[in-house]
This record gives sequence, structure tokens and C-alpha cells, in this order.
Amino acid sequence: MDQGAGIRVTSGERTTYANGNMADVDDLIALAGRAARSVADGGELHEASEPEPDSVPGHSTVAIDPRSVAVERKLGLLRRANEVARSLDPRVQQVTASYGESVQEILIANSEGLLRTDTRVRLNLAVHVVAKQGDVLESGFEALRGTAGFEMLTDQAVEQAATDASRRAVLNVGAEPAPAGTYTVVLSSEAGGTLIHESVGHGLEADLNLKGLSVYSGRIGQKVASELITVIDDGTDPDKRGTSAMDDEGTPTNRTVLIENGILRTYLSDRKHAEKLGIPRSGNGRRESFRYLPICRMTNTMIARGRSDPAELLRSVKDGVFVKKMGGGQVDVVSGNFAFEITECYRIRDGKLAEPLRGATLVGQGPKLMSEIDMVGSDLGYSTGTCGKDGQGAPVADAQPTIRIPSVVVGGKLK
Amino acid sequence: MSERLTNEATVDIALDALRSLGVASGEVFLREAQSGSVEIKEGAIESVIARGERGVGIRVLDEQRLGFAYTSDLSADGIRTCADTARRMSGVTEPDPDLALAKKAIDDADLDIYQVGVVDRPLAERGAVALTVEEAARAVDPRITQFRKTTYSDSESTTIIATTSGVRASYRESYCGVMTSAVATETSPSSPNGERQVGYHGEAARRFAELDPVRVGQRAALRAVEKLGSRPLATQKLPVVLDPWMAMDLLRAIGPLFSADNVLKGRSLFAGKVGQRVANEKITIIDDARKPRGLRSAPFDGEGVATTTRTLIDGGVLRGYLTSLKTASKLHIDPSGNARRGGYGSPARVGPSNLFVAAGSDDAEGIVRGLDHALAVTSLLNLHTIDPVSGEFSLGATGNYLERGGRVHPAQGITIAGNLTHLLGAVVGVGSDLVFGPGGLGSPTLVISELSIGGA
Repeated sequence: MDQGAGIRVTSGERTTYANGNMADVDDLIALAGRAARSVADGGELHEASEPEPDSVPGHSTVAIDPRSVAVERKLGLLRRANEVARSLDPRVQQVTASYGESVQEILIANSEGLLRTDTRVRLNLAVHVVAKQGDVLESGFEALRGTAGFEMLTDQAVEQAATDASRRAVLNVGAEPAPAGTYTVVLSSEAGGTLIHESVGHGLEADLNLKGLSVYSGRIGQKVASELITVIDDGTDPDKRGTSAMDDEGTPTNRTVLIENGILRTYLSDRKHAEKLGIPRSGNGRRESFRYLPICRMTNTMIARGRSDPAELLRSVKDGVFVKKMGGGQVDVVSGNFAFEITECYRIRDGKLAEPLRGATLVGQGPKLMSEIDMVGSDLGYSTGTCGKDGQGAPVADAQPTIRIPSVVVGGKLK
Repeated sequence: MSERLTNEATVDIALDALRSLGVASGEVFLREAQSGSVEIKEGAIESVIARGERGVGIRVLDEQRLGFAYTSDLSADGIRTCADTARRMSGVTEPDPDLALAKKAIDDADLDIYQVGVVDRPLAERGAVALTVEEAARAVDPRITQFRKTTYSDSESTTIIATTSGVRASYRESYCGVMTSAVATETSPSSPNGERQVGYHGEAARRFAELDPVRVGQRAALRAVEKLGSRPLATQKLPVVLDPWMAMDLLRAIGPLFSADNVLKGRSLFAGKVGQRVANEKITIIDDARKPRGLRSAPFDGEGVATTTRTLIDGGVLRGYLTSLKTASKLHIDPSGNARRGGYGSPARVGPSNLFVAAGSDDAEGIVRGLDHALAVTSLLNLHTIDPVSGEFSLGATGNYLERGGRVHPAQGITIAGNLTHLLGAVVGVGSDLVFGPGGLGSPTLVISELSIGGA
């Protein structure tokens, strides 16, 4: 149990934020004093408006509160995941299954009279499998994560996650090292959305754009991607990992169209940056906990469905790489260069999946890659993760349809 | 204000709660920390954060089962509830005959890791550190136009550990650091809207006067400017030069291979290799939790075991692992005091303290001048995705393409790939320029005989 509060005071261009663990109202008043002191010395504090409590609609259903579920039931799921993962192949050497639940009670009040609360129930069941063949060790990972009740963790879903993690470890341990070079790449919808998160999403955060530091700065209304590309951030997507009723400044979450048919429409904002940039508040001021100031960041980010048959994308490639699962990624928002990990991929030969490849990565430059995508499938697949920015972690989900990139650098080894 | 108990009194209450619950073997870990940060923008302070935290983590060992719970509610009731939760959790975990809580007294060691009043310095003085960083960066080159973020941060904390069997010790530590991401801009015929590149650098110290903001600003500026005019590189194999900071980034990923927990679970490529050659003979790697003023130095670890200095790889030969009480017991060796704990809310995990590659005697520059071509890496993307189990890495990179040691052009949009164990074996040069960075890591310049470069 961790309980605390943070008091933010702004004066001119300066923000002061005092925060700490809090047991009672006396602690809170002491925090407010600490925050206000830096301002009160020179300036004046305004009389605050009377709080006007209201409520914002939620976007998650919690039929079964995880706190009401016996720990034995949770352990049972982990044991089942362990059995399933181990039974798949004798090369499976180690299985780590973990369960985590977090229930955050949030209250936001400000001197304009806003007073709102939100309860976020988040679950995370992860399976990590290590397979060994000769001297080669490889791991496979799969996780079930959402802002939802315990009902999301069905036996079937847990068994599927364990199977996927195990299958991936075994596949990789027998795979050839990915060959480095430039290839045509098809990214399956099953691969999840790390690409959109890294190559575009971070570059659309309003704080970077106010400083003029992003490759997307000053480009609202301009073409920044292929007309096949529409990018949406949706904090209201039901039960997803990045979903909440409001952001951490009390602004209701939104479905924000960031790029529409290739044209940049807006940025992801918190209150401060929405005002400074003259754009609507998008409800993207998020913080890890009361210990941090809110910063502009993504919730659930996706490339919208296109029109092509996903199978046609694979068939269209004579020689290339098919990415079935992406892992983590990182972007240098100033130059737009990004990299992400590929945890399951195959060579494409004559429009069909051929041998599996391991240890691949994909690198590129956001706007360049987004303008080169030449086919977008009609399917959609999600992945989940924890996004890191300025030392704060935030639960997110990403999604994309199957897409084709004509030419992109794949990292790997040379014989 | 409500009555605030001292840290020692809080620990006493928690020990009493354990005893009153009939717990035979229990442990209390308390952490109190005050920390802050100052961020600047356009020559003025933009934001100031002051953070306080205090809480306890309680572990209960009952019939060889371990339960853990933590709380920041340090009222007598809050502590009792936490102790009871830990006791209940011990009832549902798997028993392990090697589980144990600390029993040995901890020796007194003055590691010089605490300077009184680091967090109480005037705001103007703390902000000035960040301002000096930006001034120094701008002075390096007129193309340094902006900063993504420049932050000064500091902290002071107290850690206490106590067990029902009588082990009890505490230490205080301080920390301050400054980091910046400088942005260089240049317009050219090929990029009329201007090419922008970022350079990151950060340093930290136990004492305020040991921070060198000018050096931080200068290094970040150089990192940004040297990337201007980047071009792709052809896919090929190349010798690679890792300056100390880049070498530390990869050393961080090697750390988990030494964890006895990973070794015992078959998740480390170093499993079963003690006494064998695992790196080039030029490589010696040491974990020194007792390095004076070390950023990860501490007299005891997160389980109350006295810390040590260990040579993990000696002249290329693996000498041992990092252990906790449990993993040491399984390996029938003395614990090394490497059960690291991030805070009161996290249980201990085996990990390194100040992990470093010992200085060598090679003239790294001379070696590179002898190479027809090489890539000197200047930044790496996606380090967090290196899988310590497989040791495979495949990373986005920027670097300087060198001919006979001279720079031909900077490169971007490329990858470097290999395996951490092969990397250790392929070190052909170890410089004498050992540097320690944030996170307690240290390394001299390393020259790698060959890595796969992915590019055009």
C-alpha cells in the first residue's frame, strides 16, 4: 500500500511540485505549504474556487474486483501457465509466470474548482519461457494486460499466453540469426503496435513540439505520412491497458485523431501545452503516481485499419521479412530515428513464410518510414507495454493492421 | 501535525508487531528519502520538484516460506496490518529449504557516501548547476541551439534493516546528478529545413562539489554536433570502438549474466562456466560495493548481508557469481551481499553494485589508427531490449565511420548486432582511461575486433 499526494503550484513560467507519502490532512497541508512557499515569497496566491465535484464516464468494466479473488486462484492460474508452457517441448528449460494487480484510487482537485476521482484496476499476467538447444538459450514472452477486472484472465486466455510464450522460445532457439541488411518488410497485425508508438507517437507529444524539437514540430495541416495512414490515440478504448476515465490532471480521456489520411491534425497534450500551443486538451497529461508531474504521453495508440486483404500483403512479397511479434522500442525524437525489437519473424520467399529468424531489430526514421508504407491491411492487432519517458513509466497499448514497408533496415548478424 | 515517530522507533514497532503475531523469523526494512529536482528552460528555472518518502517493507520466513508486504502508512495500525499481510503471504508461497534471513552482524564500514545537506542547498545554487551545463554546451559550438531537457536532481536517504534474530544496521547516503540532451541544428543543401541532432550526457556524484557541470555540457554538445551530416553505412562487418560511456551501456546488459539467481534458473550463459575462459584475457570485471564514494556503494545489501568486493572475471576467466542468501546457500558458498533492493516497496533481487571493467594498458587510439576501417559508436537505441538470457543484442546505433583512426563521416540509421559473450571474447583492446558513470558502472575504452553492421 502506497498513499500520497502532490501539490502543484504554478506562478508565471515556474512550476513547483511538492509530494510525499500522506497519512492524514495535516500531511497534506504541510505539503501545500512547501509548494506554496516558493511562490508566496514574491507573488500572491489567488483565492481558490469552491470545489465542484462531478464525474466523468469510465471505459472499463470490472465485474470481478481482483482484490476479492483468493490468492489460491491466482496461484492456480500461474501453475497452469507453468504446466502448459513446459509441456510444449522438451527444450523448454525454465518458465517464469507472474501475476500483478494494481488498484489506483485517484483524486484530482485544482484551484479552478475541479474535483474528480477515478479508480483504475489494472492486471498483468506474464509468462517468460527459456528454451535451450546446444549452447543457444532463447526466451519467449507473452503477457495479458488490461485496465479491467479479473474476468479478463480466463483459463483459456492464460493457456494461450503460455503456449505463445513457449512456442516463441522454442521457435527462436531453433532459428537462424537474422541477416542484417535492407529488406521489404511485412508487419503482421499480430505484431502489435510498437512501430507506431516509437516511429510516430512520441514525436507527437505536445511538450516536444512546443520546444520545436520534434520532427513533427510546426507541421499541423501538412502531409507527414502516406495517405493510407491514419493514427489515433484513444484513452477511451474499453478495457485496454492505457485506458482511464480521465488523465492525471482530471481531463477526460479522448479518442484523438492525430494523423488523418497522412495529414497531421494535432498533438497529444496536457493542460499547459494545450494552452500554449492553442490546441484542444486531449486528455494525455499522465503521471506514474503522485510522485511526479504530469507529462504529455500516449494512452492506446494505433494505426487505423486500411482496405487491403492482409493475406495479399504477404503474397505480394517475393523476398523479404515477415514480422509476427514486436518487442520493445526506443526513439530519438529529435532526429526521428527509432529502433524496435523483433521477437518473432520469418523470411518471406515467393509470397510465403519460410524459415524463422532470431535476434532481429528494425530501424528507421519516423516520417520517412510513414510516407513509404504502401499497403495497409483491413485487420487490427493489439500489444501492451510500459512506456518510459523522463523517468516515469506509464501503462500503454498499441495497435496496428498488417502493413507493408517496401524498404527498411533490419538489424542482425552477418555470417 | 500528527505525531511523527523516528525511523528507529518505527522499526521497533514493526519488530514488536512481528513478535506479537508469533512470527519466529522476520525482517524489517525501512527507507526514508528526501529528493528533489530542478529543470530549466531558456535560462530560467521552469520546474522544481520536492519529494519525500518513508515506508517499511516486511518479510516473514515461516516454515521456509517467505512472505512480503510493504506500507507507507506508518501508524501503529498500518505497521501491524503490513506485518500481518506478510505473515499471511508466507502461507501461500512455495517452501524452499535455502531461504534464510540475515544472522551475521554487519561490520562498520565508512564508505563516504553521505554529505549532509545536499538536498537543503538553496534553489538558486541547484538551478545554477543546470544553467552552467547549458552555458558550457552552447560555448562548444554555435550550432547548439536548444536543449531537450536539462535537469539537476539530488537526494538524501536513510536505510535501516533489522531482523527478529538481532541483526540491525543503518546507513545514510546522498546523491546529486545533472543531465542534459543538447540539440544541434544545421541547415545544408541536402536538408534546407535544417538537420537536428541530439546529444545526451549525464553524471552523478555523492558530493555536490564533485559534480562537473561544465564537462557534462561539453560532452553532450560534442555528442550532438558530431552527428550532424550523418549518412547511412553499407551492411558489413566492422571493428567497433566503444568509448567508456558506450561500453558502460553494454556492461549494464552483461550484469544479469553474473546473477546466481539467473544461473540457478538456467537463464545465464555463464551457468556452469566458473573457472573457464568467458572473455578475452585482457578483460577483468569487478563488482565493488565498497568503493569509497561509489554511486552504488553500501555497507550492507537489501537482506542485511555485509557487502563485498568481487572479481567476477579475472583475465578472461569467470571466477564467480553475485549472490543473495538463498542463492549462495544453493551454491554452497558465502553470500556476496548482492541482494539489491530498489526501495521499501520492492523485494530484494540479485544484482551488481559498482560493476566495472578494470583499466587495461592498451593505447586504444593507437589500435584504431592501425585499422583500415572501424565504427566508433556514439549512441545506442533500444538497450533495454537486450535479452540477458540469450545474450543476443541487435541495436539501433549512431557512430563515426573511421579510416586509419580518422573520421570519414558520421553514420545514423544503422544497427549493430552480436552476442554479449562473443563481444567479451572479441575485445582486442582495453584502454587505460577507466571512467565511472551514473549507476555505478565503469569502463575504459574497448576495441572490438568485429561486429555485424546493418545498413543500406
